[in-house]
Amino acid sequence: MQQGKGVERRTVLKAAGASLAVTGLGATATACGGGSGSGDGTVTIRYAWWGAEDRARRINKTIDLFEKKYPKIKVKTDFQPYPDFWKKFNTQASGGNPPDVFQNAIGFLRKYDAKNVLLDLKEQVKAGNLRMEGFRAGLDTFGEIDGKLLGVPVGSNSMALVIDKPVYARAGITPDMGWTWDDFDEAMARVRDRTGRAGDSGMYGVMYLYDLYLRQNGKAFFTEDGLGFTETDLTRWWTKAEKGVRSGLFADPKKVAQIKPKSALSAELAGSEFTWDNFTVRYTSEGKSEYGLAPIPTTDGKRTGQYLGSLMLSASKRTQHPVEVAKFIDFMVHDPEVATIMGYDRGVPATTAQYEAYRPTDPVNKAIAAYEESLVEAGVLEPITPHPNGADICEAAFLRIGEELGLGKRSVADAVEQFFNESKTALSS
Amino acid sequence: MTAQATDITRAPSAKGALRRRLPGSLAWHIGALALLAVILYPVVWVVGGSFKRSEDIVGSLDLFPADPIVSNYTSLTDGIADIPISTFFFNSLFLAVGSVIGILVSCSLTAYAFAKIRFAGRNLLFTLMIGTLLLPYHVLLIPQYVLFRNLDMINTYTPLLLGKYLATEAFFVFLMVQFMRNLPRELDEAARLDGCGHLRIYWSIVLPLCRPALITSAIFTFINAWNDFMGPLIYLNEPGKYTVSLGLKMFVDQEGLANYGGMIAMSLVALLPVLAFFLAFQRYLIDGMATSGLKG
Repeated sequence: MQQGKGVERRTVLKAAGASLAVTGLGATATACGGGSGSGDGTVTIRYAWWGAEDRARRINKTIDLFEKKYPKIKVKTDFQPYPDFWKKFNTQASGGNPPDVFQNAIGFLRKYDAKNVLLDLKEQVKAGNLRMEGFRAGLDTFGEIDGKLLGVPVGSNSMALVIDKPVYARAGITPDMGWTWDDFDEAMARVRDRTGRAGDSGMYGVMYLYDLYLRQNGKAFFTEDGLGFTETDLTRWWTKAEKGVRSGLFADPKKVAQIKPKSALSAELAGSEFTWDNFTVRYTSEGKSEYGLAPIPTTDGKRTGQYLGSLMLSASKRTQHPVEVAKFIDFMVHDPEVATIMGYDRGVPATTAQYEAYRPTDPVNKAIAAYEESLVEAGVLEPITPHPNGADICEAAFLRIGEELGLGKRSVADAVEQFFNESKTALSS
Repeated sequence: MTAQATDITRAPSAKGALRRRLPGSLAWHIGALALLAVILYPVVWVVGGSFKRSEDIVGSLDLFPADPIVSNYTSLTDGIADIPISTFFFNSLFLAVGSVIGILVSCSLTAYAFAKIRFAGRNLLFTLMIGTLLLPYHVLLIPQYVLFRNLDMINTYTPLLLGKYLATEAFFVFLMVQFMRNLPRELDEAARLDGCGHLRIYWSIVLPLCRPALITSAIFTFINAWNDFMGPLIYLNEPGKYTVSLGLKMFVDQEGLANYGGMIAMSLVALLPVLAFFLAFQRYLIDGMATSGLKG
């Protein structure tokens, strides 16, 4: 046996060598791509965003346009649906390899600023690579935090009550700007009684709506570093919600959960839904009815508490090519031709140049434009309140716990306590 | 043997037994068929859904559409987001086949060492390897990402394949070790007397006898690699390199147009390779069980 051992070791080594050779083969066959700079001064930047194939086709066209104008800059795109996008982004950011430029939303700004992920684009504005003029209604400062420019708006959206038009017509309801929550409650009951459908799909979990309600009452969902409301406030909001679910004013949460990812509105479970106005594009593609936009109910008959929300483009602090990234963002937000390609896909264009370049011809986008204009005319738009680090986690918790409340898994008191516990943890980290 | 014995004892009253067993067996079959219908229902629903318009897929309760359309399938030929769907299938197939080869070669070699060679620290190493089964994937995710980034291997298939060629899948090593331990020692002792080294014993004696374990590993690896979502999501940065599981996610997002029809049609098409692989190899699996049964 002693003699045998040497032989054994050698054969094992041989075998190991063989398997390593196979590995090497696999590696060389698959390894390609990589490096972002090359000899002739061409620079490659990575651009990631969330969306589906329709947005992808549009963005690909805008990138062709950009590359034609800036032949020295190549853009590589990467996209996933919203939840997967953030999974990937978090891994990449933790691994020190975030994309150079990426789509962003207001709830994430402070979080990634605190983690040192976002580039302050002020430098590039000063250097003249990025123009911050020509934005609509206060959007130029939308992505500014503590004097740093962390995101540039690409398109604005506002919260709205998306309604199933024929259902509302049958119920005999025409919501006008300035209608109150009492009117809204009455409308819900009428939709239920006259059309046999729930009035709303479950507004109690929508953080952005509760934010508006609080703003109407001189509060807000968030303060600089915490929650802007008390347990009593939320108990009141969710008690009303629980009653609404029990009495059939709001859609059965079980059914709403079952038909996901389709929305309760387009699946004809509810007559309306509070969400961002650009969601009507999706609802029209997945539902059979005609969808319209109604204003947010008010407390005092005037204030809706609304502000222009917006998707943004942010840059990574680790990018090797800040100048190119700034030029890219500049092109995407100012070039009129980009607007004609993108349409209202990411909301109504943020700059006046792009806003004027694209006039929608289809009824859905026309309605979005009309809705946004009506908000400006009514003068209800107010400045946005802060979204602290951890806002995204609070939003998700609010939605989840609200859903559990609707499903009857939690009592109101239990749900309120759970939400305050979770958000305290999220906001203090 | 036992089966034969009971047959003989029952032979005289076979007819009576049949009469007695008929209601029971009928009930059993009806029960089984009902269960099958429940299990198959989602599959049938998906098949029916793939011929519906996107807006009819959720909402209408009919299993099959009144006016079936094929445009969900034909539109797949346009590709997803400017990428032909064959690209996704080729990428997935490359990863799945590459993974199968890697697992078969590396895990069987490792298993051979653990099962057939005595060396210092064998038990400790074996325990450590089993211990890696307890590590949740999420704990490894970011360290692994950082590692592969430092090796400049992001946006290649290497991070998704390398581990498979280094026998890091402890489950398959374990499976094969258990199988090899049950092979009679006399076989490799006889081979050694005939002058075989370890490599020869591994290749000519152990591997052929391990076929059932290898086939099982191959099937599981193929399905796992084909279905893997997190790995490709994290490591691949270009839609042109995406796998089918990522491609399937491109049809619907919360904003913008939703194409449920395309998604359902593609998910059915994506099932075919897995089904084909399983059908092609499962007969070897049954065959293998028969031979291993004889051995005892």
